[in-house]
Amino acid sequence: MLLASLGSSSDLFSHLWQTVLPDYIANTLILGVLVVLLSLVFGALSATFVVHTNVLGKKYLRWLLLLPLAMPAYLVAYLYTDIFDYAGPIQRALRAWFGWQSPSDYWFFDIRTLPGAAIVISLVLFPYVYMLTRTAFEQQDQNLLRAGRLLGLSAKQSFFNVALPLARPAIAVSASLVLMETLADFATVNYFAVNTLTTAIYDTWLGYGDLAAANALASILMLMILFVVVAEQRARAGQGHQSNRPNQYIEVIKLSFAQQILVSGFCWLLVFAGFVIPFVLLILMAVENSNMTQFMALLTPSLNSIEVSFYAASIATGLALLFGLYRRLSADKWRILPLNLAGFGYAVPGTVLAMVLLSTFGPLDGYINDIANYFELSSPGLVLSGTIFAVVFAFVVRFAAIANGTIASGIEQIPRSVDFAPASLGAGLGKMLRKIHMPILRPSIWVAWLLVFIESMKELPAVLLLRPFNFETLSIQIYQLISDEILEQGALGAILIVLLGLVPIIWLNRSKELT
Amino acid sequence: MGINEILSVSQLSVELQKKTILSDTNLTLCSGEILGLVGPSGCGKTTLLNTIAGFNVVTTGTLNISNDNSMAGDDVLTITASNNIAPEHRNIGMIFQDYALFPHLTVEKNIWFGIDKLPKSEQKSRTNKLVKLLKLTNLETRYPHQLSGGQQQRVAIARALAPRPKLLLLDEPFSNIDARLRNELMLEMRQLLKQLKISAIFVTHNKDEVFTFADKIAVMHEGKILQTGSPAAVCQSPNGWQVADFLQLGSWLPVQVENEQFQSALGSFSSIITSTVNENVVSNKVNQQTQQLLLKPQAIEYYEDENTKPNVRVDNIAVTEQGFHYSLSSIESNSVLAFEQLSFYSDILLNLGQLITIKIKPHNYQVFAL
Repeated sequence: MLLASLGSSSDLFSHLWQTVLPDYIANTLILGVLVVLLSLVFGALSATFVVHTNVLGKKYLRWLLLLPLAMPAYLVAYLYTDIFDYAGPIQRALRAWFGWQSPSDYWFFDIRTLPGAAIVISLVLFPYVYMLTRTAFEQQDQNLLRAGRLLGLSAKQSFFNVALPLARPAIAVSASLVLMETLADFATVNYFAVNTLTTAIYDTWLGYGDLAAANALASILMLMILFVVVAEQRARAGQGHQSNRPNQYIEVIKLSFAQQILVSGFCWLLVFAGFVIPFVLLILMAVENSNMTQFMALLTPSLNSIEVSFYAASIATGLALLFGLYRRLSADKWRILPLNLAGFGYAVPGTVLAMVLLSTFGPLDGYINDIANYFELSSPGLVLSGTIFAVVFAFVVRFAAIANGTIASGIEQIPRSVDFAPASLGAGLGKMLRKIHMPILRPSIWVAWLLVFIESMKELPAVLLLRPFNFETLSIQIYQLISDEILEQGALGAILIVLLGLVPIIWLNRSKELT
Repeated sequence: MGINEILSVSQLSVELQKKTILSDTNLTLCSGEILGLVGPSGCGKTTLLNTIAGFNVVTTGTLNISNDNSMAGDDVLTITASNNIAPEHRNIGMIFQDYALFPHLTVEKNIWFGIDKLPKSEQKSRTNKLVKLLKLTNLETRYPHQLSGGQQQRVAIARALAPRPKLLLLDEPFSNIDARLRNELMLEMRQLLKQLKISAIFVTHNKDEVFTFADKIAVMHEGKILQTGSPAAVCQSPNGWQVADFLQLGSWLPVQVENEQFQSALGSFSSIITSTVNENVVSNKVNQQTQQLLLKPQAIEYYEDENTKPNVRVDNIAVTEQGFHYSLSSIESNSVLAFEQLSFYSDILLNLGQLITIKIKPHNYQVFAL
């Protein structure tokens, strides 16, 4: 990609650089910073309240605060625009109530702006910060906090001087995850007409047909992502403070009743704004507008989504299993490489990935056809770039990290001695894998498959750019309905995507409960 | 190689991650013998065990494993750097420190794992015998997590014994068992191995375990075997400071040898009784260097005489079933011959900080250079 951008002289790129590109870069950076700040406020505060205070409804908030993760940001963007826009019910009610006649009579927050996009994206991404911070707090050795208390700190001081500094690496990791997701977002910013690097790549490539300029823009975006990945790796290296005595009783900071109301109000507001309100709006929309014709129209895209997601999940899980077991059982000093390298795809935004794959598969298809012609065989056509192969390939690259992480953690749970025991009983590698490792790993394999399947069902930018002609998926269908401002016709599909998104959250919450 | 040997390790070296863990290790094990491999943490005990089992590759040297109780027979596996034999083909059983029970298989299926190629009737008969022998009746359909630590250990033993290995390796098998049960299990296990005529090597860093369980001990230090012999022989005549120190055979009294006299903080006494002198033990010739005299508690005598000048101070008192265990230090603390933590047992109650007089009973002195 970098070579392609450097190798081509592009008038469009220099024109962009002199005109709008600085604004696009600034927008991307401002959006990233705003989303990270808001997510930290929402996520770290709610995690602190849930773990370290006697907030009301703690038992429910613990898992309810995870739900916004299931909501695609572009859906929330559409639904909130629908209610907060000039023609939406809230402004209409205000105008009716106060007797205002036109927009010049009053000021109201315009959601289709950069801050609006930042708020909407933060509302669905803050659970990353919440989840990792909460886990960090809960896994801290409580004796460290108790030691703080015995050395004269109050519960509050103990939290600020011991718990919070210990959780800092986890908070940093979550912030970098949020930043990566924000930099990769295409649909929300595109819907809000906020020009960022992802929308610029899309427009330059598909609007102006200038692949070299698009490559140059993608290189700038990847450079930003690279900084985030390095920051994330550094933050991860500092995560060494987890306790080996989890599930200890955590002493909470006792809030007054008024404080409890305030704090739980804050948490419930996040749950409602990030999940309940958009979900209820979707249901109302579906109840009001859905009919058999719409349902049938969703059938083919749904089946297409299921088909590509099934392939992607099976391949990603198979590879994760292969790489994971290779790392565990091989004596080769490079054994960690395949698993680690396969995990880097998660950092590449779908738009960039799609571009890289098309730039690679396009010429490859040419070579394949040349070879076929040389042997006087019929031309196979665009077998790589023009079929679902490219989509599945992109999904596997993008979500391999999820499968790798799940399988690797499953393998780590198997004691080392279990690798040795079968051989001491006369069993070779084949029998060991068949009778011991595979059955023990079955739950991890299933979860890895499910997670990649669901993420693939939801993925939008890569499939938007890589799909074969006339190949519609559920996410594309919904995105197009949103773009045409007629989501009502696809509300059922949107509900399906949200419900699918809830599955990993329930699993995540369950696995956190078990640890 | 002896006719009755089941294992011989000769000039074995093992490197792991470019680090030499074992060097020039020699060891033999006779049929039916139980060898205790002891030494401080990180000395290479588990590496030696894993190398015999086949989980580590030999760097140099040879391992011979006999499958018919005789190195003279045809059924001897010779393992070298160029001729590695996979663990599953060595007919060696192993009991792991954490037992390594397969969590998704029941007790019965764990035991069957190594014998599933045998006819069903044979599998059943072996399992039934082992279940009875190891008191696992009525636990056959349970999963490992439904068993207590002691029961899990018994399942691990049954599983390792089912393929009828000639040699059993045990990696700290008693470390997860609480102290009260440990002794009972060790005695049971020893009886079982003897009854089934199985040779065994077990690793531990607990000296009490090795004295209870083993016919023979091998003391390891920094990747080398320092001494091998019966527990009694090694206790009687440790061949080096590390052996005596690891097995805690006594305390150390700094001495200098001059004109057949030991000079020490407890006074001077004749050194001519010294009889055990080998390569590692310093002889009683004139030597101005400070050496260490191994002093067993029974060689120390409490001397109750008001006219004699005290020579030690009581630093610590512990109550034991035999009386009181005192830790003593010399009153003179600036000399090169000063000492601390000299162990002394007595029925007489002394006070903390009390100054007393002790004397060394004449005995076969053992002096070591540090």
